[in-house]
Amino acid sequence: MTSPLDDLIRAQKRQRAGALRLAIASAVVVGAASTILLGLSGWFIVASAAAGLAGLAAAHAFNVLIPSAMIRLLAILRTAARYGERLSGHAAALRALAAIRPAVFESLAAAPPSQSLTLSRGEASARLVQDVDAIETRFVRLSAPWSAVAGLGSGLVMAALAGWLPALVILLAAGAAILIARAVARRFSTPARAAVQTRVGALKETTAALVAASAELRAYGLDAWAGETLNARAAQLDAARLAAARAQGLILMSQATLLGVAVAAAVVSAAPAGAPLAALAGLAAAMSVDALSGLAHAFDQDGAAREARDRLDTILRHRPQAIAPRPETPPSVTILGQTLRPGERLAVVGPSGCGKTSAVEALLGLRGQAALPRSTFAWLPQDAGLIAGTVRDNLRLAAPKATDAQLWDVLEAAALADRIRTAPQGLAAYLGDDGERLSGGERRRLALARAYLRDAPWLLLDEPTEGLDAATEMLVVDRLQERLDRTGQGLVLVSHRAAPTAVCGRRVEMGANAPNAKKLAIPAEA
Amino acid sequence: MGRARLFVLLDGVAAIGFAAGLAFGVDAVASGRGPLTLGLCLFAIILAGGLRGWLARAASEAGARAAAQAKAAARADLARSVFAGPRRPTGQAVTALVEGVEALDGHFARFLPARLSAAVLPLMMIAVAAIASPICAGILLATLMPFIAAMILAGTAAAAESRAQFLALERLSGLFLDRVRALPTVLAFQAEGTTTAALRRSASELAERTIRVLRVAFISSAALEFFAALSVALVAVYCGFNLLRLLPFPVPETLDLKRAFFVLALAPEIYAPMRRLAAAYHDRQAAEAASASLATFERPEEKPVATPLTQAPTIRFEGVTVRYPDADAPALDGFDLVAQAGTITALVGPSGAGKSSLLNLLLELAPLTGGKVLIDGAPPRAADIAWAGQSPLILPASIADNIALSRRDAPRADIEAAAKAVGLVLDRPGGLDFMLDERGSGLSGGERRRLSLARALLKPAPILLLDEPTANLDALAEERMLAAIRVAAKGRTTLIATHSEAVAALADQVIRL
Repeated sequence: MTSPLDDLIRAQKRQRAGALRLAIASAVVVGAASTILLGLSGWFIVASAAAGLAGLAAAHAFNVLIPSAMIRLLAILRTAARYGERLSGHAAALRALAAIRPAVFESLAAAPPSQSLTLSRGEASARLVQDVDAIETRFVRLSAPWSAVAGLGSGLVMAALAGWLPALVILLAAGAAILIARAVARRFSTPARAAVQTRVGALKETTAALVAASAELRAYGLDAWAGETLNARAAQLDAARLAAARAQGLILMSQATLLGVAVAAAVVSAAPAGAPLAALAGLAAAMSVDALSGLAHAFDQDGAAREARDRLDTILRHRPQAIAPRPETPPSVTILGQTLRPGERLAVVGPSGCGKTSAVEALLGLRGQAALPRSTFAWLPQDAGLIAGTVRDNLRLAAPKATDAQLWDVLEAAALADRIRTAPQGLAAYLGDDGERLSGGERRRLALARAYLRDAPWLLLDEPTEGLDAATEMLVVDRLQERLDRTGQGLVLVSHRAAPTAVCGRRVEMGANAPNAKKLAIPAEA
Repeated sequence: MGRARLFVLLDGVAAIGFAAGLAFGVDAVASGRGPLTLGLCLFAIILAGGLRGWLARAASEAGARAAAQAKAAARADLARSVFAGPRRPTGQAVTALVEGVEALDGHFARFLPARLSAAVLPLMMIAVAAIASPICAGILLATLMPFIAAMILAGTAAAAESRAQFLALERLSGLFLDRVRALPTVLAFQAEGTTTAALRRSASELAERTIRVLRVAFISSAALEFFAALSVALVAVYCGFNLLRLLPFPVPETLDLKRAFFVLALAPEIYAPMRRLAAAYHDRQAAEAASASLATFERPEEKPVATPLTQAPTIRFEGVTVRYPDADAPALDGFDLVAQAGTITALVGPSGAGKSSLLNLLLELAPLTGGKVLIDGAPPRAADIAWAGQSPLILPASIADNIALSRRDAPRADIEAAAKAVGLVLDRPGGLDFMLDERGSGLSGGERRRLSLARALLKPAPILLLDEPTANLDALAEERMLAAIRVAAKGRTTLIATHSEAVAALADQVIRL
């Protein structure tokens, strides 16, 4: 099975091909220039020493200009190439992630509600924030193998000047360094980094649950308990981080040890070719093995990226589907065994917990399979369901192109226009998380205004007047009645209060154990 | 930190040993000394390599441990501020507790050790290089100085940008999470497309902004690269000309191969610690930016431990004013109220009249911007308060454990009694042992409200605060709830914010706001 994330990454790689190619080309220059710079410098010193010892004539005959000019050129090249590599690599990665993150959200929205709506805040943040961050390495590290190959390749070429044996020695050491780094990364880093990812998610989930409850924690003197609970969760995360650091340490250790061995072996095997070439081989060996460190680091990071990919793939499997067109004539609606003709008004009443809200959510297809397209309904959810944004942002969820005049019109209908008008920023007033700058009743009326704004044949209102005082409730109900008479919209109204149900011509009572209620409350998941 | 210092010093010694082994080894080849000398030199190289590897591993582990310790302390501090200090928006608090604290990880695990070796090793290497060639040491020192200056300049320029960057990142994650929370609404209004488009715009704005920050930040690493390469080049060229005796100016030293090669092999090592520091520099910036936003969390005042009240107190509000930051108008202005000991006071009024703010004042969850709140003449203390709010806490645990949050040592019988008193009758498998998830799926709005009330009943506190206790309950359930409130209020001073006339009828005193 192909991985949807891999497809996304491939598409991003194609789109950012220019920048990524620049990063790779720069990395090649960096790798080669670093190795050649040191090797050439070593050779230059030793050869100078030999020429110096041979006398003034030999010294004058020794061409100093070309090597010293080369050395300076390499120094400048390496600097420019390193800057180019880092900037273009990171820029490509950041732009790719900025495209991938919304794609994950889009897929999440397209997933079946049983999956998307049960995701807790902590899990959502783990997917959308940490997991997407973890795949950044797949772009930034693209140039690592090229840089390693360039460094190693130029090292081999230089060592080959001293004979085939030093070159072979360096190749073997480099091969061993790569294989060991890979093996250690697979055996130790991958599980440790994966554990770090999952445990950050778990920590976040616990934190979100506790912070949301801070009022009760305070009343019940649980603030210290909350801190301890958090630190206990975090200790698990830090244990995983320690394991990851150990694995990284092992890789570093193997690299440094092999570097020492490679240098010693290269010097010995190049000794017959003379001191200048032995020096060249020794330094080439050091730089060749050093050039692999970027690659070893990439192996080390792979675990987190692989784990993140698996988790993101389960979300990215879902692709958004074309929105079904709204039926041309308003459809009839069946809820709780009652079939309503267009324009009819039904009140659903019953004790709390009997499944009234579930029945409405099932109708909308937020639980199980929907019988009618969502464009049939305009909904006021029980918890208001506001987004962090302005009054205008919230209302425009229902109609992205609505004019301000239309917005004021529905605010008036929901008896909230006066309140918004007195706010200094009016429609642009920022409401905070979940509309926290509004009172409970105001949030409800804003959500009601939003439902009015949507051009749909049926209104589904779940406790529209909860949290309102009697006078405001009367106003809201009067305007609802007037609005329905004018638009001919149908209504399903869930409430346990008398006033709003008065506008409904039909009424269905739900008991706690009514058989149809149970049937609908259980999501019939496909 | 003592061990870290030792690791750093040893690493320097090993690096010097490595360079010396290489220099003497090459010299042994050049002057045709016996295989024993060469063998010794090469053995020194291998030993130095192994030692450096072992040290790198030990340092990596020590860094992780130090980071874990530092984060635990920071987390404990912050948790105290979040849970006992002034109220902050949920998103901000969660981000600070997780991302904010985790951002300190790199600072302790990587930046601090890197800074230590950058402070010690280059100078130590240059001092050793001076023994071999004072002029080379001079060259190395001269290239190190402008590099440090460049790094400081680039660092200060990037710091402000990077702080702004961190805040922007925090806002972006907040935005994504908010839209996930509001997903039912987004789906019902078929706003998936417009919401995704808006998120895409924000994400891409942030990416462009980050790239601008990186352009500056990477200058410091380019400067590092340049001076590192320059120092190798200068040392090589100088040594070469010195060895050829072709220098155009007189110098007080004549080098031999050993010395020249030693300095050359040491030159990259002088910059290696600086390079590690530069690589860890963004860890420091992330930590600094995070610390700046962590520092905005005020430490709660230490409260003297006082014995809880044993009798219902009198509650007085004297000229109380509450104004929320960023609010257009005060939620309450010059409000007076006396709730006599052991009575029930109902606060009735239109939504937004400040009923909830009055209750929150007693828990210091609303800002008291004027006037006084007195409990038997003293300031309010959370220890004396039992509270049931509009959106109760649901933990992923059993219903019984959820109720027992208010009194964690409560015997099972008390928990059952409290559940029964509020009519929380459960026909679910396991009854009170039914496991809830974080979202409280499986509980209706009314049941959550009753769970929250059961919690309030379980805590033996002389003040009872109820915020809309009967919202979402039908007439029958409300009737049962009124009876439960009557029982619970006995011997307590009770304040109830409510819309319900039936609840108000229960009160000894009704205040219309």
